[in-house]
Amino acid sequence: MSPCGRLLLLPWSYHMFRMIVADIAANSWFYWLSNLWNGIISWNFLQFVVAFLTIFGFILTSATILVLAERKILAWMQDRYGPLHTGPWGLLQSVADVGKLLLKEDVHVGGADKAMLIFAPAVFMAPVIASFAIMPFSPYIQLPGSALAVGLVFYVAMSSIDVIGVIMAGWGSNNKYSLIGGLRSAAQMISYELPLVLAFVSVIMLTSVLAGRPGFPGQDGIGTLAPYEIQIFQNSAWNHTGIGILDFLFQGFTPWSWFVLFQPLMLLIYYICGLAETNRAPFDLPEAESELVAGYMTEYSGMRWAMFFLGEYGNMTIVSAVASYLFLGGFAGPGVAFLTAQHSLLWGFVGNMLALLYFIIKIYALCAVFIWIRATLVRLRADQLMQFAWLVLMPVTLVNILVTGILYFATSALPTWVFLVVLACVNWAGVFGFVWLVRRVTLSTTRHAQAPAIRAQLRAKPAVPAIALRDGVPSRVALPAGTAASQE
Amino acid sequence: MATNQDTEFQAEFSGTSEGIKTQEMLLNMGPQHPSTHGVLRLIITLEGETITSCTPVIGYLHRGIEKILENRTVMAGIRYMDNSDYLSPMLNETAYAGAVEQEMGIEIPRRAQYIRLITNELQRIASHLVGIGTYGMDLGTTTPIIWAFRDREGILSMFEALSGSRFNVNYMRVGGVLHDLPKGWLDECSTFLDKLEKNMVEMDGLLSGNEIFMSRTQGVGYIDPQQALAYGLTGPMLRASGINWDLRVNRPYMAYREVAVNPIVRQEGDCFARYYVRLQEITESIRLVREGIDKLPGGPISVRTPIALRPPRGETYFAIESSKGELGVYFISDGSEYPWRAKLRGPSFVNLQIVPELLRGHKMSDAIAILGSTDIVLGEVDR
Repeated sequence: MSPCGRLLLLPWSYHMFRMIVADIAANSWFYWLSNLWNGIISWNFLQFVVAFLTIFGFILTSATILVLAERKILAWMQDRYGPLHTGPWGLLQSVADVGKLLLKEDVHVGGADKAMLIFAPAVFMAPVIASFAIMPFSPYIQLPGSALAVGLVFYVAMSSIDVIGVIMAGWGSNNKYSLIGGLRSAAQMISYELPLVLAFVSVIMLTSVLAGRPGFPGQDGIGTLAPYEIQIFQNSAWNHTGIGILDFLFQGFTPWSWFVLFQPLMLLIYYICGLAETNRAPFDLPEAESELVAGYMTEYSGMRWAMFFLGEYGNMTIVSAVASYLFLGGFAGPGVAFLTAQHSLLWGFVGNMLALLYFIIKIYALCAVFIWIRATLVRLRADQLMQFAWLVLMPVTLVNILVTGILYFATSALPTWVFLVVLACVNWAGVFGFVWLVRRVTLSTTRHAQAPAIRAQLRAKPAVPAIALRDGVPSRVALPAGTAASQE
Repeated sequence: MATNQDTEFQAEFSGTSEGIKTQEMLLNMGPQHPSTHGVLRLIITLEGETITSCTPVIGYLHRGIEKILENRTVMAGIRYMDNSDYLSPMLNETAYAGAVEQEMGIEIPRRAQYIRLITNELQRIASHLVGIGTYGMDLGTTTPIIWAFRDREGILSMFEALSGSRFNVNYMRVGGVLHDLPKGWLDECSTFLDKLEKNMVEMDGLLSGNEIFMSRTQGVGYIDPQQALAYGLTGPMLRASGINWDLRVNRPYMAYREVAVNPIVRQEGDCFARYYVRLQEITESIRLVREGIDKLPGGPISVRTPIALRPPRGETYFAIESSKGELGVYFISDGSEYPWRAKLRGPSFVNLQIVPELLRGHKMSDAIAILGSTDIVLGEVDR
């Protein structure tokens, strides 16, 4: 801000000061203080503070752990060691990195749009933290409030704000690579949001079909958007048997009714869209390091760069968390529901910790797939990326919604399990069909691209002249029959 | 002038009524850029993401190798050839030493010829490994490059055992090679080749069958066979366009007169073909090294040459099939210890010329794919 701008702020701050003084003068000191104090010690506010700190801490810790895990897993897949020398087995590498990043100079580029440059990392990072509001970590550890009831909508809204941060960074950096990266990411993140939401729709349809049926919670025909309740839908297919060990294991943990079994194709598509949303390989075009140096992050350094980095890894975490809630039963695992139902403080605590453990295991298992994919796949091209979203993913998700609805009406007279079994069969067939479709599409596009070569081959023989030897050096050795040279 | 007015007219009136115009963007890729393979600078004009024109600027790595060669005795000059194509020093040295031998009319002993064949083919493998690995890197995955460099490490340590240096080997001599093979070197070599063969199958599975890799490379950067000839392309670039031209076959030198090479030819002419030719040439080179080890004769490794080596007055051109293509040395001697002129025909330099034409009309991501598929080494382009 210019010195002139600071001067302009003076009357405003003076005005605010006068307002506060007037407020205090009008009431008593005690009244003002107690008001403040009541606001702070209110249960909701404290819960919010604790939850925010927990989530923030979780994201930061998770990001550092993921960075290290990524380096170690990549190293393992690539037949090398990875970080070794910082701490035992290189475990402190992330700590050292963060320390370095904190100490680094925060360089501001000349000619940049400074406000954009400075605020972009915050705009990128904040929605990532905010989206965790919908995530229950265990039966008790979750944020109170209405965000939970509209969970998925809130999550989608937050993940769309991300893109604004990226565009701000791309524009504000005054760098051509950044600009291209920012624009690419705008196109990419907006396009992939649609199939992502459509993948959600099928899950929400499933809950509204199941709601109110025998053995499932909820009111007849009314589904849910809240991850917590979606998780309950997946884990309520167990009736009390009275056999202790079975009850302990399967109460609130029924992997045979997880939505991944009924909608595997949607999990696949959601995961692909999640890759694109988080700008991870093979969809890392916005920061394509071999083309755009570092894309929208090119001009950032120090902690601002680290915020983008943390945001990316936080995004990875939340995509995995949502996937685990929607398709893999969330925090459910053996013992969780049984122990929390004991109504004792100790067992309730143990149950919650178990739930947290299962949840984190599921998140990191999905994150490991992210890393595995990064080690394996090459990057897509921008137009192929768009083509894939609009011509493959969108139709497939739309057809899936249609098929789910048609199957529901076709089997509405029959018991629920018939519908579920048919849906599962159709969807698993859909997975293989999807793989076939992708392969077919790839083949046809590459054939199309190879058309000039194929045409040239068809008219090749007379067109390409045989190469004459340049002088009389005895050239060709006798080759065994059938080798490549003797065909020519 | 008329065309200028036309384009201006179109730019002004074909857009929306508010006069919003698109603007071409001038992008400077390099000389400091992750994937220009050294210090190549590409001045690219972008229309959106589509490249409308491209001008490569070279010379950032110019060290005047040809001039240095003129100021060194012939034997001392061999060492400077290492730095030309720094990914295949053995091949460079062979070319230079071969040119001098041709000028002097020396026929080197058969054992030296076979040692040259073995080291040359190993060097070709190493160079192609770097080419394939960095190509994977250009396209956005990190695994191939690590695997390739792991395998290349074996070759470099074998060179170290052979010559005392991993990189600037300084191993070839006019009239033969410097040392004989150390004890146990050939066994180590065979063991390494067995391992490498398995690893290449793995690499093939990782990259070639990958749908994304195929869609990124197939049909991208198509070079017509006639265009390839017109630009004077050689090596894998030429053979990927369906033209069967390999100096080891068409104009065999040294041990290649006795060892038959199967040139790898593909018809597609695109980036995938160029990548795949390199991958298959590695397999072919493994076979050649094995054959060389089998046929390795005994006898001297070098002919006796005078200490003050004076090539007779005259000029000659000698070319070998380097990993990138035809590596030629045009050697002019005035009868003194120093070459009067030694001109290198660097295949990278010649192959680079087609890049601007190839890039036009492609997307920006394709630019990297195409540039990577040409597998240039800036040390040889700039010399």
